[in-house]
Amino acid sequence: MTAATLAHDAHGDVDQLYIETRELRLQGFLLFLISDCVLFSSFIFAYLYMRNSGQGWPPPGIHRLDVPFAAWNSVVLFGSGATMHYALENFKHGHWMRYMIFLLATIVLGAGFLAGQGYEYTHLIYGEHVTWAGSGIFGASFFTLTGMHGLHVFIGVCYLTVLVLQSSAGVYTRGKYFGITAGTLYWHFVDVIWVVLFSIFYLI
Amino acid sequence: MVEHKAQPAGLSGGFWTVTAILTALSIAAIVFWSIFPLEKYLPAAIITARQVDLLFRFMAASGSALWIFVAGYLLYFSIAFRARATDPPDAIGLQVHDNHKLEFWWTVIPALFVVLLSIVSVRIWYQVMLEPENGIVVQAIGHQFYFSFRYPQINGEVTDEMHLPRDVPVTLNLTSADVIHGFWVPAMRLKNDTVPGLVTTIKFTPIRDGRYPIICTQFCGVLHSEMDKQYLVIEEKPAFDAWFKKWQEKNAHASNALPSAGGGAVALQGGNASAGKALFAQKCSACHKVAPFSQTLVGPGLAGVLHDPSHPNLVNNQPATPQNVAGILQNGFTGSMGTMPNATANGLSRQDIANLVAFLDSLK
Amino acid sequence: MSVAAVHPGGIADHIHPEPQGFVRRYVFSLDHKIIGIQYIITAFVFFMLSGLLAEVIRTQLLNPNGGFVSSDTYNEVYSVHGSAMVWLVIIPLLTGGFGNLVFPLQIGARDVAFPWLNMLSFWIFPVSGLMLFASFLMGAPTAGWMEYPPVSLQGAAGTSMWCAAIFLVGVSSTMTGINFVVTILKMRAPGMTFTRMPLFCWGQFATAPLLMIATTALAAALAALFIEREFGVPFYDPTKGGSPVMWQHMFWFYSHPAVYIMILPAFGIISEVLPTFSRKPIFGYKLIAFSSMAIALAGFMVWAHHMFTSGLAPFLQLPFMILTFVIGVPTGIKIFSWTATLFGGKIHFSTAMLFALGFIGLFTLGGITGIFLAAIPFDLHVHGTYFIVAHLHYVLVGGSLMGVFAGMYYWFPKMSGRLLNETLGKWHFWLFFLGFNGTFIPMHWLGMLGMPREVATYDPQFAFWNRFESVASYLMAFSILLFFVNVLWSIRNGKRSGPNPWGGRTLEWQIPSPPHYYNFKHIPTVYGLPYDFAQPLPYKGLDEELTDSPPAVAAGAH
Ligand code: HEA
Ligand code: HEA
Ligand code: HEC
Ligand code: CUA
Ligand SMILES: [Cu+2]
Repeated sequence: MTAATLAHDAHGDVDQLYIETRELRLQGFLLFLISDCVLFSSFIFAYLYMRNSGQGWPPPGIHRLDVPFAAWNSVVLFGSGATMHYALENFKHGHWMRYMIFLLATIVLGAGFLAGQGYEYTHLIYGEHVTWAGSGIFGASFFTLTGMHGLHVFIGVCYLTVLVLQSSAGVYTRGKYFGITAGTLYWHFVDVIWVVLFSIFYLI
Repeated sequence: MVEHKAQPAGLSGGFWTVTAILTALSIAAIVFWSIFPLEKYLPAAIITARQVDLLFRFMAASGSALWIFVAGYLLYFSIAFRARATDPPDAIGLQVHDNHKLEFWWTVIPALFVVLLSIVSVRIWYQVMLEPENGIVVQAIGHQFYFSFRYPQINGEVTDEMHLPRDVPVTLNLTSADVIHGFWVPAMRLKNDTVPGLVTTIKFTPIRDGRYPIICTQFCGVLHSEMDKQYLVIEEKPAFDAWFKKWQEKNAHASNALPSAGGGAVALQGGNASAGKALFAQKCSACHKVAPFSQTLVGPGLAGVLHDPSHPNLVNNQPATPQNVAGILQNGFTGSMGTMPNATANGLSRQDIANLVAFLDSLK
Repeated sequence: MSVAAVHPGGIADHIHPEPQGFVRRYVFSLDHKIIGIQYIITAFVFFMLSGLLAEVIRTQLLNPNGGFVSSDTYNEVYSVHGSAMVWLVIIPLLTGGFGNLVFPLQIGARDVAFPWLNMLSFWIFPVSGLMLFASFLMGAPTAGWMEYPPVSLQGAAGTSMWCAAIFLVGVSSTMTGINFVVTILKMRAPGMTFTRMPLFCWGQFATAPLLMIATTALAAALAALFIEREFGVPFYDPTKGGSPVMWQHMFWFYSHPAVYIMILPAFGIISEVLPTFSRKPIFGYKLIAFSSMAIALAGFMVWAHHMFTSGLAPFLQLPFMILTFVIGVPTGIKIFSWTATLFGGKIHFSTAMLFALGFIGLFTLGGITGIFLAAIPFDLHVHGTYFIVAHLHYVLVGGSLMGVFAGMYYWFPKMSGRLLNETLGKWHFWLFFLGFNGTFIPMHWLGMLGMPREVATYDPQFAFWNRFESVASYLMAFSILLFFVNVLWSIRNGKRSGPNPWGGRTLEWQIPSPPHYYNFKHIPTVYGLPYDFAQPLPYKGLDEELTDSPPAVAAGAH
């Protein structure tokens, strides 16, 4: 039973139906995040496994990662987490304008993070010591994991852009805003994954 | 069958007769597995093969007994409680839902059996793992599609059969030159995979003369099926020594080269020390430290290999020159510490060797 | 709309309009029952293909020197046989197929939580199946269903196709898993508490999280293998610093739970068939339900028992051995409870019941050899031999596949409104039983005596038993042919079954066969466990189901 069929059905208490399907979708979405989390965990496990299998670490010949830069970039991403949080809160309280501003800020910060990552990649690939996905296990893990994360951010940015358009078209009301909740959850999920990735690649 | 309702425990005479028959069958199965002459079908070539057989007898006996009871009651209940033509169409069975006592016991008894089985298996596992290692050290290397063997004091590789003296403990190091193979001698009841980039070890003591097939048990490519044509030969010490001597002589002048390695000097110009450093971390650091000679991991520490005045010669007694180090990397070497894999086993190209030597040369 | 209809925890008593047109009804259907049948049909088509591949295997092994196909083809054949049987046959049949078909009915729901997602899951499945079989055109994978690198890195182009195909079925499984978890958590009819849920639903409830979580780990492993093969990014190649053992960890971290994906729903089927045909409550309901969850959970902690020879640190192996033994205990609880269910029953030997009884005997044997394998010293002997092939077919064919057959004979009337022919069915059972044991029993001693698996040619000393197996496997194939004949014949000519031919007490039997697209005219209320044959049915609100009265909200009313 999709929300669409429910919403324009003349029979039944639409709000009640909406609440029930919303719960279903919320639960389904959380389960999706769990399985997505397993996807990341598998690669993280693979990386840690190979990192600890005997050889010294970091492997010689690897260009040092630019930790301060990545740290600043992370601040950008976490900042976007905060703005997303306020966007949702403001929406719930009916402050439409503030909601829009925070949402747009989130998109800008997310895009900024992606730009930063692009800059970092270019440096690694075209820098003094070439580090690329093909060059050994470090490159493989680093680029797959951060690339996968970047892809998630990218999808998130696209989704938030859709949210902006939908919100302007008045799709969401104070009673019905599951799309925004889902976006917020997803965005926080992407943030949390980044905390882990940042720790295992830059800190330890 | 109304009488079953009247008699909820339902343990009729038939039940006890069947139980008695099943017990008798189980005992027969246990006796069967205790005396079954396994070694008639598959000889036990090493000490621990008998232990593994013992474990098998234990599991087969208890497994058979368990299965006889499950299948026996299944069959008996199906027959005894079948619906009959005389039953009214809406007849129903005994309405019991559970029986906590029964459920308790069929949880606890299997759990206790698991404890017993764990104890038995762990003990036998210890015996398999803790075989002595003061005997000879041999290396088996999996290739597509044969095994080769390296012995201390034999240059290069032995490529036809693996000979071992009887009653001498063996430490067998396994590795692979290409893909994963499985090294299995059914008569030893023992196997291990040969994994490229990894050295695994099995230990055993041969106790029975004979020629036993060595079989590859991991799919390794199109001719995997053909990898069962080599033999492990266990023989008296004198026969073994004769064989050993023959191979020593055969390989003595083979300039330590493998058929596949191609021999010849390695061009060392253009070695890149930093590429060598990366390679070293991947391929060598499992066995070597960048540290003085005496800091042994599997092989010696290599920090001073080309510049350490206290070690003017390499382990193969050649002078420490880049060209000779390259020779060791190319051909491998088996000495007192063990086996240094050759370039095929380590997956080194000519350029890799040049890079590695450049790196070793850069260490002071 | 009455208050009672909008009940907490379930979806409102609401019926949306009947889909119109062939395409909306039978092709891109959102109806869980149609989707279930679509899964079953598709999976049986793949079953025929991979079964024929099995017969190619057996024909090749008639002679020690093979000669039926080349070594290379042989390797392709068993690799695709194993992969297809696991991912395209048993898993889709038991989860997408019977799961979709039956459990929403059993919990009194109108559909699954996300019908659209359900349709998507289904349609991914035939596509990926075709991809897998299409890999034959470009050189199919040869390294078995496990595809261990580095040798799978050398495999023909079809190996990458294999990765993509399995990745896609994985996505489909994951979506099914999410769908089922939410459906069971949220869409049960009022009164359908967890302790009143039929055991088949418990089987699905234990399986769905495995689908959701384990499959994603496989997806990661497959993605990495694909990337490495196609773009040279090193993960598994040891000459580039990767680790081949890594793949084994990731693969088995999925594939061990996957073997429970392939057995827990079958346990569920058996737990439905046994009480119905012995006219008795299932013995030990709570422990059977609980042990399914225990098995699912423990299934995540034993994967390394497939890797005892792969060079793991010895002391890491011990906990895996012992935990694997421990799984025998909850499984034993089930076996014993089923056996006790028969005690004092009024047993009707329908074909479904015969398959259920056969299941218990054969699965127990396979499970016991599983315990043998868990004992490391013995596994060091038989790993990679035909003993493993024997174990896996006893649990998968004697277990899962027998469960599927039991389910087919049991629920075919619900799907089609007609019974399968029982005489043919009994021939099917007995020939299958004989053929199956003849095919797979000798593999136990062949393996122990020295016959490795995945070989196209073998030592002539094993010729006799291999011939014996091959002949028996033809018998098994013939029996399955009878089954297909039976299905095709009965779908048009079978006896009409009426709503409840077996006197079943779960909810799906209380409504017409086949059910209306909306399942229930009124969502029933549940008052107890379904298995009390002495009591009246524990449901209220079903009075109109078998009458001609229209559903509560007229279809297409808006
Ligand atoms: C659920 C899973 C499943 C099922 C049902 C089967 C079913 C069968 N399997 Fe398979 N098998 C596996 C899973 C399964 N297998 C796996 C995972 C492997 C390991 C692969 C690997 O090593 O990578 C394997 C490997 C495997 C091997 C070992 C190959 C090797 O290591 O070299 C063999 C050998 O005999 C075999 C045989 C059979 C046979 C005879 C059947 C029979 O039961 C099949 C019977 C079915 C039919 C015959 C088809 C239906 C019948 C018709 C359409 C009628 C018309 C047909 C005719 C008249 C021929 N299988
Ligand atoms: C449906 C699928 C299925 C199921 C349910 C199982 C169930 C089990 N399996 Fe099996 N297994 C496979 C499918 C399955 N397996 C496949 C496909 C492979 C090969 C993969 C490949 O390499 O291609 C394999 C391989 C495999 C191995 C690896 C062998 C090797 O490659 O070296 C091991 C080792 O531990 C193992 C063990 C077990 C155990 C202990 C169980 C247990 O869950 C069994 C539990 C059941 C019982 C024990 C019987 C009933 C219990 C009682 C009557 C109670 C009393 C008993 C005791 C207390 C012991 N299996
Ligand atoms: C499987 C373990 C192993 C690996 C991997 C390995 N070696 Fe060795 N290596 C040895 C052993 C053992 C010896 C000593 C042999 C002896 O004398 O018994 C040795 C000896 C050597 C020596 C001679 C040392 C001396 O002082 O004479 C050099 C040089 C060397 N190895 C370089 C390398 C390089 C470079 C690599 C990586 C490509 C490598 N080894 C990989 C085990 C290994
Ligand atoms: Cu080597 Cu199989
Ligand atoms: Cu397993």
